[in-house]
Amino acid sequence: MVATLELMGRIGIFAARVAWATVTLRVPLRSFLAQLDTVIMRCMLPVIAVVFPFGMVMSLQGLEIFAMYGSQRLLSPFVAAAIIRELSPVMASTLVAAQGGASFAAELGAMRIKEELDATDVMGVDSLAFHAAPRVLALTIACPVLNLMGCVSGIVGGWITAVLMKGEAHGIFMAELWNLTGPADVWGTVIKTTVFGALIGVVGCYLGYHTRGGAAGVGRAVNDTVVYTILIFIAANYLLTSAFFGSVG
Amino acid sequence: MIAFITGIGRFGLFLGAFARASWRRPPPPGMVMAEAYRIGVKSLPVLLIISAFVGTNLALQGYNAFAPLGGSRLVGMFVSTAGIREMAPVIAAAMIAAKAGTEMASHIAVMRIREQIDALEAMAVNPMWYLILPRLAGIVLVLPALTIVAIFATLCSAYLVTIWQLGLNGAVFLEFAREGIQGVDFLYCMTKGLVFGIIIALVACFFGFEAGRGPEGVGKATNGAVVTVSVVVVFLNYFMSELFYG
Repeated sequence: MVATLELMGRIGIFAARVAWATVTLRVPLRSFLAQLDTVIMRCMLPVIAVVFPFGMVMSLQGLEIFAMYGSQRLLSPFVAAAIIRELSPVMASTLVAAQGGASFAAELGAMRIKEELDATDVMGVDSLAFHAAPRVLALTIACPVLNLMGCVSGIVGGWITAVLMKGEAHGIFMAELWNLTGPADVWGTVIKTTVFGALIGVVGCYLGYHTRGGAAGVGRAVNDTVVYTILIFIAANYLLTSAFFGSVG
Repeated sequence: MIAFITGIGRFGLFLGAFARASWRRPPPPGMVMAEAYRIGVKSLPVLLIISAFVGTNLALQGYNAFAPLGGSRLVGMFVSTAGIREMAPVIAAAMIAAKAGTEMASHIAVMRIREQIDALEAMAVNPMWYLILPRLAGIVLVLPALTIVAIFATLCSAYLVTIWQLGLNGAVFLEFAREGIQGVDFLYCMTKGLVFGIIIALVACFFGFEAGRGPEGVGKATNGAVVTVSVVVVFLNYFMSELFYG
């Protein structure tokens, strides 16, 4: 319990140092852009490959419920709302944590074990601002971008199942698509995933930056990154969902 | 692209070698239960927390999607259909992949770069039989059960959110939740869990065996294992749903 609190405090200090390095413009822009490119290219395919079949599954199961009530026209707004509000943020962030966050933890961990981070510090360059901060910022920016790609691919997946495979009318699907989702939902999904991306970046880079214990330590850092980040952002997801949508009740 | 195809080929060869090594031998004694404990019991807290939060969000989002259409009673049906048929098996598999799968991959990768796997071979112990078979048997034993636990946690938290946060009638929720599913759904769920378990163990161990040199090798193996497993699980989930319900 005390160890957990201590870890949370250390992660908080790490986040504050990253934020301070960003505010004082000590984060190299070129490195940030390179990391952004890396994380988006690495995660794009997994995110699309996961949200796309999920959209198909939503459509498959949704059709069964709505067919019971003879109201198949409600399918497409339901699929769009479910994907944009919940599924794509959660699945895309899970994949960003598993691919982007974990690979950054592995990179930083390997740099720590090979004493490259110490070498950077010895040369008078703040290794946190130079190596860790660009990665945190890259994940923060990349997560919403990847989420939007996920939203599009999920809705396309839903359309393929409903229209191409189950023979629903294309016109009805498209006409009803945005009945439940408005600009507020798009803002909601972008804000949510920005928060998730920042959480993934801070936790993953903290665990990688403070790796100890040789090659096994790197494996442990990657493992912990995936588990902790998913736990944290799923909990954050509930709070954010309640804040955005929970007030209806 | 070439690397991807090469990887698939290597995975096929790996499967062949593993099958040859262990198809008529019982797993090393005592290790199956140890692995089952490590995978099942150690992953349980994480799985419970994640499933509980999935349930809360299913209830909130189900309410938001259906309330404007005047069907707030449908929340129960939505939670049980979406939660039991799709979310619980996939979330359970994803979490076990994230917790136990990464552990398998990094453990075997560390053994590989420390040359402990070569040492096993030098002692005439087949490393595939000794390292993979207990993990495969362990995960196959526990993952269907963990899927059922995930369903339970999802439904419980969704129920609590429905009556406390949304202020709906609990009895109506339960009645509609029961209508959304049948007993056979649990069987389908456990089948999904079984297949996902096999995928997790084989893919994670494959990445561990193929790990490159040095600390980066371990990190890359662990990372590749969890991403590959997630993508494969979600795709297989679609095909199995299509098979069971389509």
